[in-house]
Amino acid sequence: MRKSIENNKSQMAGSALFAVAFTVLLVFLVFSVLASITFGNADISLKEVYSVVAFELFHVDSLSDYGQGAVHDVVWLIRFPRVVLALAVGMGLSVCGVVMQAIVKNPLADPYILGISSGASLGATLAIMLGVGTFFGSNFVGIMAFIGALLTSFAVMGIASVGGRANAGKLILAGMAVNAVCSAFSSFAIYIVNDKNGAAEVARWTMGNLSAATWEDNRVILPVIVIGTLLFWTQFRSLNLMLLGDETSVTLGTDLHKVRLIYLTLSSVMIGFAVYCAGVIGFVGLVIPHVIRMIFGTDHRHLIPLAALLGASFLIWADVLSRIILKNAEMPVGILVSMIGAPCFIYLMVRRRYGFGGAGE
Amino acid sequence: MNIKTDNIRLSYGSTEILKGLGVEIHDKEFVGIIGPNGSGKSTLLKCIYRVLKPDSGCVWLGDEELRSLPVKESARRVAVVAQHNYYNFDFSVREVVLMGRAPHKKALERDHAQDYRIVQECLETVGMAEFADRSFSTLSGGEQQRVILARALAQRTPCLVLDEPTNHLDITHQLQIMKIVRNLGVTVVSAIHDLNIAAAFCDRIYVMKNGQITAAGSPAEVLTSDMIARIYQVDAEITRDSRGNLHILFI
Repeated sequence: MRKSIENNKSQMAGSALFAVAFTVLLVFLVFSVLASITFGNADISLKEVYSVVAFELFHVDSLSDYGQGAVHDVVWLIRFPRVVLALAVGMGLSVCGVVMQAIVKNPLADPYILGISSGASLGATLAIMLGVGTFFGSNFVGIMAFIGALLTSFAVMGIASVGGRANAGKLILAGMAVNAVCSAFSSFAIYIVNDKNGAAEVARWTMGNLSAATWEDNRVILPVIVIGTLLFWTQFRSLNLMLLGDETSVTLGTDLHKVRLIYLTLSSVMIGFAVYCAGVIGFVGLVIPHVIRMIFGTDHRHLIPLAALLGASFLIWADVLSRIILKNAEMPVGILVSMIGAPCFIYLMVRRRYGFGGAGE
Repeated sequence: MNIKTDNIRLSYGSTEILKGLGVEIHDKEFVGIIGPNGSGKSTLLKCIYRVLKPDSGCVWLGDEELRSLPVKESARRVAVVAQHNYYNFDFSVREVVLMGRAPHKKALERDHAQDYRIVQECLETVGMAEFADRSFSTLSGGEQQRVILARALAQRTPCLVLDEPTNHLDITHQLQIMKIVRNLGVTVVSAIHDLNIAAAFCDRIYVMKNGQITAAGSPAEVLTSDMIARIYQVDAEITRDSRGNLHILFI
């Protein structure tokens, strides 16, 4: 009896740890948003920044001076939407990274594993090099990338489902094959057109960039990502079962086949929007899930929300650095993410015993 | 709850693995299935626990046909301990056992105190309560298999299928797992390699060879020198010890 009380205690300790971690990360995320808008090349004081924000959010009359002008535009139309976009993209990439790793039962999976990045790149390349899709308007590159991302992920699901059910192995192989096809066509387009400026733009685009953030885009992507994250959070049980494999999960009452296709579709849409707004930002979706897993374990009821919060904060700060690290110039955030993220990840990997990925036996 | 199969046939490509099998396991009976490697024991059990779909014939759980039930409902009737359970991740023991409650959960339902209580009870039943917070992947094979048994128990099903659950375990853990299962008072069907274990624990035994049932009956009826020679091509002597228990000695 005493033992069972002790066990209840440790089980409660587990939930308490999660509650603390969740609160800390949530507070940190709010802090990150508020702090990060004070960074930038333009020299604007803290008071000015927060006066603009306070005016826009609460329409305080005494601050109406900050409702327009250069300072207002920099803070409210450039910095703030960019921070919100970083939040949404970081969250989306991390959550979809968790989901993809569960779907294909492979710790090396990232949100782009099913060919989404190469599909998006192909779409963007066609748009930049050949002007395909100009009728979509000013952000036709992003829209073409979105279409490319969705089409490739559906193609991968389709190919993996031919001749039976799509399982983890078939999905990865189909993803790699489609990846190769898309990359080849992208290279082909770049080679044939031979436009140096275009090629540079393609390269810049595939490195990921948050500078094009606008409130219009954020109004779409933020709800898509947040709702997607909450939906995946409710699916923690099925995500856990995915790691046990199809056979075991049938005996535990869940047929993963349908569930898998639904998750793939939802995460393709989330990643498609992220790509549309910010290009291809690597590393976040691979590593944030692992960092959370190392500390809090594999249970998805904790993994999904914590990865969402950490990923959002991480990309916000990575973007801040990419804005200030070079004087009067910007670095693509994708490069910076790998530069800081990879060494941190190696440090964690070496320091802690970590099972997901084959260290178990 | 009783389990029945009706004329089950299943082929992989052109090889017929199950050739019209019919078995019946009565309520609260412990039934063993023995037979050489490749005789189709596991395939038959997989049809019963719904991982394989027979080409023809059907499986009955109680009064309903297996395929007519939702997957969740069949998981509320039959729990499984299979032979290979190596998982490549860091779930804690408690989290693994808690997954046994999944068939009782609606889509958005949380885990309640009662679920944790059941998990705790099941861990105590298999003697793994003090391991609840350990990482599953750090346990030994015997401990992992007991945790998987606890997960199956947490499903609170009237039937339990054991698919050679004691393979790779030493004799202590083999006997321990079989004793735990024996004392549950549920319907059990188990594939068993060790004939002495089959003799010690089963109410009835089915003997399979080449995808067919070649004999059925109580251990004493089935486990004869003659039968063992016919099925396994080895000579054996059947003896009874001072307590009247059956033993098979291989010569």
